[in-house]
Amino acid sequence: MSRDWLYLDYAATTPVDACVAEVMQRYLTYADEFGNPSAQHAAGRAAMQAVDEAAESLAALVNCDPGRLVWTSGATESNNLAIQGIARSRAQEGRHLVTMPTEHKAVTDVFRALEKQGFEVTWLRPGRDGRLNLAELEAAIRDDTQLVSIMCVNNETGVVQDIAAIGKLCADRGVVFHVDAAQAVGKLALDISALDVDLVSMTAHKLYGPKGIGALYVRKRAGVNPEPLFFGGAQQGFLRPGTLPVHLIAGFGAAAAIAGESILDDFTHLKLLNERLWHGIESLPGIVRNGDAETSYPGILNVSAGGIDGESLLLALEPLCVSTGSACNSQSQEPSAVLRAMGLSDALAESAIRFSFGRPTTVADIDRAIDIYRAAVIRLRGLLPEAA
Amino acid sequence: MVADPYSPLTRRLFAEPTHVAPAAGELAEGHSVYLASQGLEVRLNANVSSGRLEALTFRASGCPHFIAACEWLCRHLEGKPVGALDALKPAEIMQTLAIPVTKTGRILVLEDAVRALGACLGRDQTP
Repeated sequence: MSRDWLYLDYAATTPVDACVAEVMQRYLTYADEFGNPSAQHAAGRAAMQAVDEAAESLAALVNCDPGRLVWTSGATESNNLAIQGIARSRAQEGRHLVTMPTEHKAVTDVFRALEKQGFEVTWLRPGRDGRLNLAELEAAIRDDTQLVSIMCVNNETGVVQDIAAIGKLCADRGVVFHVDAAQAVGKLALDISALDVDLVSMTAHKLYGPKGIGALYVRKRAGVNPEPLFFGGAQQGFLRPGTLPVHLIAGFGAAAAIAGESILDDFTHLKLLNERLWHGIESLPGIVRNGDAETSYPGILNVSAGGIDGESLLLALEPLCVSTGSACNSQSQEPSAVLRAMGLSDALAESAIRFSFGRPTTVADIDRAIDIYRAAVIRLRGLLPEAA
Repeated sequence: MVADPYSPLTRRLFAEPTHVAPAAGELAEGHSVYLASQGLEVRLNANVSSGRLEALTFRASGCPHFIAACEWLCRHLEGKPVGALDALKPAEIMQTLAIPVTKTGRILVLEDAVRALGACLGRDQTP
């Protein structure tokens, strides 16, 4: 396959920034700082210094205590550690948990697994705008509720939840609050110290860092003591044992430092691209924007074209690299659970396409995407039969 | 690299169908059947002359495999005797286009439409 494609799938993953790749190179070969950071000798200490510096960078980006960051393999593991870890550690106090069906599978599948283990989960549906109704959350929290898990930025629609208000509500009721911030860190100004959040999942590859490295912020507070998922060493206070991947961690730190410097410029750039794309396609009949523009992260634009099959649209959009809101390419052939939970019909959910933009995306890229999308929708509409 | 889910033939038929029927209101003559099932829709139109499918066209909503299959069968059957509609084998379509078995149900929907068209033509040609 040639590189003729136009990549507009930055919510799936981002390319590693060249400066980040350069930093990672310093922790691999014999000529570099390749040591095991758990070792006490000079090579080990040099590696640990890189880990500490990365923690400082990431902590500065999200304004938290670097000592409260746990390195993981990515947001999926962070979510598992937070949700399973808290559910198990607090099971004696109660077995009721709260989340939303619009969360990423790395969260919903964990809750479903816990349901099979005897935990009770309340699934709060969003409004048509994708946002959580705070009154419904308040009503859902019970005396035996141990954990609320709500994502910051939705990975399909870009809808941003009111984390401050949700956190305050949880704090007032004494419930542990976990936030999947995989799509938010480095993109929105996230001030963990100012928020009532107990656990925050992060990942590097959404912010121009490497794949395979993530972090979990764990607030130092009574009752926030997740049980480990793995056993086998004293690293990271026994919470997440295993040799630390220094090159990945250093890459995460470097990516966080760059994000901290460019976050405002990035946001302005993405907003411009988002508005340009939407204005370029909104005149097509039957086009629907999924998620409110005012309350959504501008790096993601999710649109439906009623009546058109999502898989066909995805193929007709080549060489655009975008995502379908439906899972028609998978075995399940089910429309997006996120969009269905927001109240979209199957027909609209199945035709949903997620465009997501990044630092390298240009206005010319967006104009090309507009032309391709318009042509594809018009062509596929031209194939539609009329009911007899 | 992950295998392309679409064969080159499927891609070509999906991208450049030459047997797309005119909109229903623009159809001057011929026979037409419409079927909707499993989230798929298809309309087949046939013009018959001397017992042969002089023209066979379609309109459809579905996945790329389904649309490519519609285009393929129109190309395949055009010019053949009407009886060829009843002889069409779903397995032949799936094999020719390398359609995954998970999509067998979709091709069976198309088979139902083809059979319905055959029945329609058979009725109208009965003296």
